[in-house]
Amino acid sequence: MKNIVVPGELLEERPFRTRNTYVEDGKTYSMVLGLYDKETASVTPLEGTWIPHIDDTVVGVVSNVKNSVYEIDLDFHIRSIVIGGKYDRFEFKLGDVIQATIKDIEEKKTIILQYPRLLNGGSVITVTPTKIPRVIGKNNTMIKQIIESTKSRIVVGTNGHIWINGGDDALARAAILRIENEAHVSGLTERIKNMMEQKM
Amino acid sequence: MGSKANKPELIVNGKRLDGRAFDELRPLKIEAGVLKNADGSAYLEWGNNKVLAAIYGPVETQPKHMAEPTRAIIKCRYQMAPFSSLSEHGRTGPNRRATEISKVTKEVFENVVMLNEFPGSMINIFIEILQSDGGTRAAGITAASVALASAGIHMKDLVYAVSVGKIGEELVLDLNMIEDNYSDSDMPMAISPRNNSILLLQMDGGYTKEQLARAMKMAVDAGKTISSIQKEALRDVYKKVAERYESV
Repeated sequence: MKNIVVPGELLEERPFRTRNTYVEDGKTYSMVLGLYDKETASVTPLEGTWIPHIDDTVVGVVSNVKNSVYEIDLDFHIRSIVIGGKYDRFEFKLGDVIQATIKDIEEKKTIILQYPRLLNGGSVITVTPTKIPRVIGKNNTMIKQIIESTKSRIVVGTNGHIWINGGDDALARAAILRIENEAHVSGLTERIKNMMEQKM
Repeated sequence: MGSKANKPELIVNGKRLDGRAFDELRPLKIEAGVLKNADGSAYLEWGNNKVLAAIYGPVETQPKHMAEPTRAIIKCRYQMAPFSSLSEHGRTGPNRRATEISKVTKEVFENVVMLNEFPGSMINIFIEILQSDGGTRAAGITAASVALASAGIHMKDLVYAVSVGKIGEELVLDLNMIEDNYSDSDMPMAISPRNNSILLLQMDGGYTKEQLARAMKMAVDAGKTISSIQKEALRDVYKKVAERYESV
């Protein structure tokens, strides 16, 4: 059973520190508005900005081109760049949508990306970054289900941008926006499954 | 503000002008997440006060020289709408009073927001008073606190604020405009309910030592009600979606 907790709410009388909790006087409090799972002792935030981690897949738009360095728009508070080396064979234009992996995170939040890949055509939608784990699902189940039934090509960036191309893209878009809206209600996989079967 | 010469009778038959008891709050209603474009927002109605709070952030700091490499900075703008009040506060643009309230509000939230979580970024708090009836800084802080939580900002606590005043020798809670203008003393406080630490305390007029202790107790007792309304406002947003499926 998951409870909605607010900042400053007492979670446990014993101390444990995870990403969204803090300990004071041997007691644990929540730091964010989120869902508290008693079994795993973790708080999942319901809202919030994206916190980058190395090896995350991201989707962004090329916003600046300087010689062999590309600046990519991922999020408002984070600057990210792709540095092209001598042997790299990629060339992007301003406004291209690309997929890449995070190589390194420097101080002052500059992110260095690697393995960039051009995403041709299609469209990008933005969801709250905290809902991305639900869009992907456990062991990619949710996103696989959507791809199988809509036959679209979908790339999910952990920064909240999702690229969709081909197939029944309207259905895919509707499904993803529905997941964002209902991420905190249990039984979501079932509802998305029904939605897919009805529209087929 | 008001002079002694034309001071109205503020307590009639042991009740206040609007019929409240001495330790009674005005009706309070909060709604979270009302603005789609903002990262977090809240709309608050507290008696005749109507306040809209919006949060934008964390975003890249502008101007860049203000950025701190190890922590986030908070910017706050409190402003009264030109149509919010009868006369005196109704001018547009920042004035002495708005600048002061923006500063003290910023300092309240610097104590509860986990600034280390967002190095080099900036969190913008906008508090817009749409209609004012006394105690707007308390209303603004209460609304901004809910808005910050709905933006997913990491915080130690949900802060609330309330004012306690003195009419004659009686202590009264949550002053409205008339009481504020003609009372003998007025003290807005912002409190963190987890350990009742005081983050803002301003005072017009004076209290004796016993009165001050009693006033603080009144604020903390009233805070339980305010806190529960704040938490309910945040939970309601998600409960509405959940109820649609759990009832079926």
